[in-house]
Amino acid sequence: MVGDGNSPPPWRVPGKRPKLGPIQGDPVTTHPNLDALTPRQRALRTAVIQEFKAKKVKKFLEKQVEHLNTNRQVVEGIKFLFDEHGRPPRNAPLEDIVEQRRHIEYQIRWFEALLLELKNRLVKVKEIEDYAFEALGAEPLDEQ
Amino acid sequence: MAQPLFLLAPPRSYTSLINAMLGQHPEAFGLPELCLFNGRRLKDLWTRETDEISDNTRARQGILRAVAEIYGGEQTKATVTMASHWAAAREDMPVGEVYRELVAKIDPLIPVEKSPAYTIALERMLAMDEAFPEARYLHLTRHPVGQCKSVMKMNWGAFALYVNSMEFQGDRAVIEPQYAWYDLNINILNFLDIIPEHRKLRVRGEDIMSDPPRQLAKICRWLAIRDDEQAVDDMMHPERSPFACFGPLTAMFGNDPNFLRGPTFRPHKVKVPRLDQPVPWRDDGEGLHPRVVELAQEFGY
Repeated sequence: MVGDGNSPPPWRVPGKRPKLGPIQGDPVTTHPNLDALTPRQRALRTAVIQEFKAKKVKKFLEKQVEHLNTNRQVVEGIKFLFDEHGRPPRNAPLEDIVEQRRHIEYQIRWFEALLLELKNRLVKVKEIEDYAFEALGAEPLDEQ
Repeated sequence: MAQPLFLLAPPRSYTSLINAMLGQHPEAFGLPELCLFNGRRLKDLWTRETDEISDNTRARQGILRAVAEIYGGEQTKATVTMASHWAAAREDMPVGEVYRELVAKIDPLIPVEKSPAYTIALERMLAMDEAFPEARYLHLTRHPVGQCKSVMKMNWGAFALYVNSMEFQGDRAVIEPQYAWYDLNINILNFLDIIPEHRKLRVRGEDIMSDPPRQLAKICRWLAIRDDEQAVDDMMHPERSPFACFGPLTAMFGNDPNFLRGPTFRPHKVKVPRLDQPVPWRDDGEGLHPRVVELAQEFGY
């Protein structure tokens, strides 16, 4: 490196052994040098990548389906326990949150109806109980 | 400040196990895969490279786990959050500077690290040399058939695809991992040409697996650190590394998941296949490329 003050000394120059792979350039997939490939080869390369992605997605879905099938009921049960405040995660889709709100409102209405029905039954049972004790001329058991 | 020991090897070359073994030496500190030299500034680890094949979200988990452990003394969701803030505060810093800060924190222990992604590009290794002009380099080799089989077994050869290691055969393209084995080792050899002899060593991974006490002691003598029975015994327990397990949910990886699942070393004799046979990942009965055979022979296979 004579005459060039900025050049590294010869022992600081990396080797120049040639590579073997058909696709060179920046080796990371950000910018592989595809110029040396024919359009057909580029298409074939894209097909390999697509096939790989499809396998990956298929595997992911299989895992998710298996997980959901096994744990669906458990997941339903602990849906509101995802964080310490009992709230769904911050990145939950809005549609899910609306659906959950409707589901809870439905459950509240259902429980309210059930409660009303039980109260009515209780009133009727109490009336029967009162008549019975009146007929016997005795005090109800829990008032003795 | 102690200069790091970098393990240079393509992935699936026993690097996780050997890195953890060396890191258990009383005078060393085994790091997870920091991947810092994958980019120029720390924030590059948080930048999506491409969505062509995969994202790089796992690449940053090693640095998060390392910072959590070194600064927080443990790896929990809270210390990983702290590590994220630590990284955010340094996002514009050159990676060499960030690395030196970590090394200073664990000084006088010798940092031991391997990120196989460094070997993808000569530029990454040159950046390592620039950041640590006195670093030492252990070139780990593995037989091309064993390494390629292992690459193909993991996620249908995702790594080989990631580095465009493919072959065109008439009307189809196939993933051919031996090109990556060759090219990454060539990158290492080209880089090591600038490193003086006393700062580099080449070892066959299979030899370490077959006789770790002897080979590890040899590496210790090269590093000029203790090679006594106690030190070697410590190195026989890679599972004791704080990074030899899955991390908290926010930074689970930082290493090969297979290693994280089972980091204990089990002595075994490694079978070294022949170089002149058809390779199992091809369906056309072809074997290794002549240049791959030549390089493997240079490595002693």
